[in-house]
Amino acid sequence: MNKLKIKHRLAQDRLMLWGICLLAALTAVPLLAILGEVLLRGYDQLSWSFFTEPTPTAYKAMKAIEADEPIPGGIANGIVGTMIMLGMAVVVAVPLGILCGAFLAENSKNRFAQFVSYLTDLLQGTPSVIIGIITYIWVVVPMKGYSAIAGSVALCIMMLPLIIRSTEETLKILPASLKEAGLALGGNKARVMMKIQLPAAFGGIFTGVLLAISRVIGEMAPLMFTALGCSLIRFSIDKPISAVPLLIWEFFNDPNLQELIWGASLFLLLFVLTLNITAKYIAKKWNQ
Amino acid sequence: MNDKLYKIILFVAALIMPIVCGGVVYALVTDAYDAFEHFGFLKFLSSSEWSYTEGNEQYGALPFITGTLMTTLLALIFCIPFSLPVALFVGEYFKGTKVASVLSTVTDLLAGIPSIIYGLWGFYTLRPIIMVLNISPQGSGVLTASLVLSIMIIPYAASLSAEFIKMVPNDLKEGAYSLGATRAEVIRKVVFPVAGSGIFSSYILAIGRALGETMTVTMLIGNTNNIPNSITSTGNSMASIIANQFGEADGLRLSSLIAIGLILFLITALINMIGKIMIKRARIA
Amino acid sequence: MKKIFSSIITLTIAIAMVSCGGNATNGVRKAQELSGAGATFPLPFYNVVFENFSHVNGDVVAYGGIGSGGGVRNLRDKIVDFAGSDAFLTDNEMADMAPVVHVPTCMGAVVVAYNLDGVKELKLTGEIVADIFAGEIKMWNDERLVALNPDVTLPAEAIIPVFRSDGSGTTFVFTDYLTKVSPMWKEKFGAGKSVNFPSGQAAKGNPGVAGVISQTKNSIGYVGSEYAFAQKIPYARIQNARGEFVLPSSATISAAASGTIPADTRTSITNADAAGAYPISTFTWMIIYKEQNYSGRSKEQAMATLDLLKYILSDDAQNITSEVHYAPLPAKAKELSLTNLKTVTYDGVSILQ
Repeated sequence: MNKLKIKHRLAQDRLMLWGICLLAALTAVPLLAILGEVLLRGYDQLSWSFFTEPTPTAYKAMKAIEADEPIPGGIANGIVGTMIMLGMAVVVAVPLGILCGAFLAENSKNRFAQFVSYLTDLLQGTPSVIIGIITYIWVVVPMKGYSAIAGSVALCIMMLPLIIRSTEETLKILPASLKEAGLALGGNKARVMMKIQLPAAFGGIFTGVLLAISRVIGEMAPLMFTALGCSLIRFSIDKPISAVPLLIWEFFNDPNLQELIWGASLFLLLFVLTLNITAKYIAKKWNQ
Repeated sequence: MNDKLYKIILFVAALIMPIVCGGVVYALVTDAYDAFEHFGFLKFLSSSEWSYTEGNEQYGALPFITGTLMTTLLALIFCIPFSLPVALFVGEYFKGTKVASVLSTVTDLLAGIPSIIYGLWGFYTLRPIIMVLNISPQGSGVLTASLVLSIMIIPYAASLSAEFIKMVPNDLKEGAYSLGATRAEVIRKVVFPVAGSGIFSSYILAIGRALGETMTVTMLIGNTNNIPNSITSTGNSMASIIANQFGEADGLRLSSLIAIGLILFLITALINMIGKIMIKRARIA
Repeated sequence: MKKIFSSIITLTIAIAMVSCGGNATNGVRKAQELSGAGATFPLPFYNVVFENFSHVNGDVVAYGGIGSGGGVRNLRDKIVDFAGSDAFLTDNEMADMAPVVHVPTCMGAVVVAYNLDGVKELKLTGEIVADIFAGEIKMWNDERLVALNPDVTLPAEAIIPVFRSDGSGTTFVFTDYLTKVSPMWKEKFGAGKSVNFPSGQAAKGNPGVAGVISQTKNSIGYVGSEYAFAQKIPYARIQNARGEFVLPSSATISAAASGTIPADTRTSITNADAAGAYPISTFTWMIIYKEQNYSGRSKEQAMATLDLLKYILSDDAQNITSEVHYAPLPAKAKELSLTNLKTVTYDGVSILQ
């Protein structure tokens, strides 16, 4: 009787192990399925012109479809727009985020700092569509128009909490002796921060910045209300501008442009995943 | 630069957070005010009418609140059977091994995929499957959206739970083993009770992610402004109604959409706050 | 790494700065960048027109197909030069904003497109279409559908109505038609840019609806005709006020506009009582402010806007309409519009002499 019970328990144990391995392995299925689908359907669209030409008009695409020809044009307008908005967002968010993160790391016991820290969590959890609404109210309406500036403000707000957190956390795990040694050598706090702490924390902060970029680069909802999109390659920062995720949304909604969906998605996906893997790699190097 | 100036600069930089968050709340509240005033706060929450007939505009948030809750809860249910094994795999069975780091890389990459690409995959791959299986004729709907949503939140739930499972003290587990317990029993009787509140809080945070997810849901939920009467029917979530109609709405409808945004903001803020507090407690314990 | 990064950023900003200026000039006035937004229904036609127009004066037109509802809102927010709309503004809407001028640009048809295995020909009456979209006819083999289409084998499958998720002039035209032919529709749903359809699936823009129909078996939906043509989706013959079952074409759309047109061109031509008229036909409009000095626009920008509208009314542009499956404006509409354009002012002074 007892033996039977033990057998039963051991069987249960093994069942659990196999069940867990199986179910855990299954989570790789969606990743492979998504990568596979985007890769298989998108790779033959990637060509030089796909990256150098703007999106075709609906009319040109229709004509091409009627004539059974491949759709002309590419996603250059989106790539340029994404780069411009991302560039502006990074220029503002990185220094501001690092300073704010440094503040949190230096004053962790301070009431105000705890409040700021709580707000950072709050902002990080705020749905991106709400960031879009806010930027519309703050920037688009007063500026009387959709613009690249508005889009970059939205991206900047989304990047800030991520950069603040990574800065704060990296600074906090630096050995306290580092700072003390610097101060003992006669440096003031600002110099120690600039010359010793921040350089020492560079890897962690850089990882945070990369992750922040990879998170916002695929964001579509806030750009819809702020950058609007544009079918021309444009460099003006006060005019509507396109972005790669905006283009994917446009292609999704227009069956004439559907052929372009997968190339654009592949580009975006590779970009994001490369950023992710690079960030992980740097973080790992850093921790050694 | 002297210490004082340095302190001031840091302080000023930190002011950005109260400014941004205060601005968010202020803008949402002032612009949502019209809708609440016109319909009454409670009536706005409980009305299921969303009609733009000129002269008789009626806006209520209930269909979208329902849609959001349904998709989020379903996503949570679908996500547990996968995220919990991943957490156990990474945090207990294969702790610290190569396989575990491969698996956690896989889930990290899942978290990195932009939501619009999840939406595309759901639309072009999952939706036809749902149609072929005859689960729903149009393929899109609450169920389709929640299935994809559940994949999206697996990484968030799994990586945090794994962290808490890893933290279960070894001597507790060894004590149980020495009494002759199998690993399955240790997990059930020791790991879960000890790491339970931490695991629970990681699911709360996963809910926080699912609540505000926009593009995936917009592409898959079917975009009808009714309360979904079953899990296969179409509907709209709070985020998807905003994505669908914000670009063209004005007047009372714009205010109503912003009011929905405010509600969504408050719900996610509340959920995230609960999650963070629980995590802090679980970490200390 | 840090250096590379910062140099990339500097470069991006530099490019952005440099390219802010740089407009080509020509003899008469500086070339302008116009922006408009609105209806997706005439988008294919506008694409061609805007491209041709850019050769005339070098003016670039950026048009966002965000739906008529969005276009009108952008005009009201004064962030565009013109709005495209398939629905003329109602008196109430006009009372809300500064005076505007409606300029019809072409005519088109809303088709009832469907996705049914093996079915290439389908006849529908207005009332049946209304009942389908109201969810009262639920199955493809409903006896009324079978009676109307005796030669077609209709499957015993549920009908999936597809409609617009965004505010749309196409929806307005379609529901305006249904309101005229079905008392039930008039009472329960009415006409508007957004209507609460009780069942089915919604999609964004004309292209979105066309896409969902082409990918969903047993679905039926309404789209601008060009989108059904391009996607090779079959569409139904619709019974007109004279009892004929008509397919949309340039000729049948033109036939619908043979009636009188009011001075401000705000008129609906659905369910027109004319022989051979396709019943779900419509004008589509561009809407501009009568006073063009708003949001800091320059006089040159105002002139460019009017040049664009005059160009669209010209034969050069109107001849393209039928090529892209729309119909040219009747002479009367052109005449009225040119008169209306003369009332457009900048700082109170009429721009066209």
